[in-house]
Amino acid sequence: MDTMLTYNVPMQETFGVWIAVYFYLTGLSAGSFILSTLRYVFGFEQFKPLAKPGVVLAALLLILAPLALLIHAGQPMRAWHLFVFINPSSPLSWGSFLLTIYPIISIIYGYFMFKENKKWAKILGIIGIPSAIAVHGYTGFVLSVAKARALWATPIMPLLFLVSAIISGIAMMMIVNVIQGYFFSKERKINTDLLFTLGKMLIWIIVFDLFLVFCDVIAHYTGHKEGMEVVKHMFTGTFGFLFLFAEVFVGKIVPLVVFSVPRWRRTSVYVIMAVIIMIGIFIMRYNVVVGGEHIPIV
Amino acid sequence: MKKRYAIGIDLNKCIGCHTCEIICKLENKVPISVWRIWVKEGLKGKFPLVRKAFLPVLCNHCENPTCVTVCPVKASIKREDGVVIVDPHRCIGCRYCMAACPYGMRHVNPLTGIVQKCDFCLHRIENNNQPACVLGCPAKAMVFGDLNDRNSEIYKFVIEKNVTVLKEDTGNHPQAFYAGLDFILADKKGMPE
Repeated sequence: MDTMLTYNVPMQETFGVWIAVYFYLTGLSAGSFILSTLRYVFGFEQFKPLAKPGVVLAALLLILAPLALLIHAGQPMRAWHLFVFINPSSPLSWGSFLLTIYPIISIIYGYFMFKENKKWAKILGIIGIPSAIAVHGYTGFVLSVAKARALWATPIMPLLFLVSAIISGIAMMMIVNVIQGYFFSKERKINTDLLFTLGKMLIWIIVFDLFLVFCDVIAHYTGHKEGMEVVKHMFTGTFGFLFLFAEVFVGKIVPLVVFSVPRWRRTSVYVIMAVIIMIGIFIMRYNVVVGGEHIPIV
Repeated sequence: MKKRYAIGIDLNKCIGCHTCEIICKLENKVPISVWRIWVKEGLKGKFPLVRKAFLPVLCNHCENPTCVTVCPVKASIKREDGVVIVDPHRCIGCRYCMAACPYGMRHVNPLTGIVQKCDFCLHRIENNNQPACVLGCPAKAMVFGDLNDRNSEIYKFVIEKNVTVLKEDTGNHPQAFYAGLDFILADKKGMPE
């Protein structure tokens, strides 16, 4: 039809880059916490070197993450309102409590771990895993409850966020493992077995993540009008480059191929891939948060 | 009886003069670069068969508002009389309501950092006056009143005309009723090329 818009008003930015940073930090925190429980809860001894740095990073990142929220909020001095005026239907209201409880649990868990008190570390770890999943899963609900944006309002969003959180957590742990071996161990030797095991874990989690992204795209593409607009938006223009090339191709498919070829099992290659994956997951957060609100709704 | 405020806009009468935008800004001291009501304009067809279409958009004061559902501090409230307002002393400026509103009708005040929105000129309607945009409309295209009052203008408007609402599929039950809505213009989103 020969119709064109001649006047409209630009939308203000709602969730900007800081919310993407916040989602990224909570994801890293949840991922590294889950990896640190592999030894103390599930008893995989080969992951012992990751347990302590994992829990320290989990607590540190989760203390840093709310700072991004305070930068984003228009009235940061009123943050105490979140604990006084509670709205049970709002995911942000759940989040304010999760963000308080989870760092406390991980600090207590870390305390028992450093004391080598295996029994209590296991109990705290068992409590900590659901809270780690909740503290990152709720951020998926924050987006999937906001029905205005078709990219966000999908039931798959919390799962997509959790899987990408675990990916970024494992990638960070690969880097931590190399730094630990190179600078802090007595023999100055990198634990390559652990590095390659993490790479093997990543293969299957990236496959699962790609499958989820594929489901999301297909459901949007064949769905209602706004879903089709979303796919068009994510496949063309700036976000087409960021989504198809940076996030999916460089951030996921390239590491997947590299990790599956046994000939490329070198420390340097794995570290580069881990950095690329971490950047790729940040781009994924940016695409979801900023890309989602970039699609006009008025 | 409980009141249920609603607004009706007859698009066949709208002349696209943008008076509602300006008078709202003056009445509510709306900051620069943000609007609580504005007129979307579109051009239909090609010469010689050409027509301008207008669509004033404002907060729909939904029966089931998403902004109230998602507000973490209950600063967004649905009043008894149907008006959705923001408590300026409670809002923390997290902008979640702006992200969740399917109509994109909220704005953040650049000076105070809190979120604000159309409140049907609460200070005016509480004194039995009409909202500024309704009063200022020179074409008398806008009608405001109590839907529970059968003698009110808005009740007659909704009954007599073929009315529709924007984005009915959201399930929010918006309370801004349009007569003569052009779906082609309502579907056009974003900034003009």
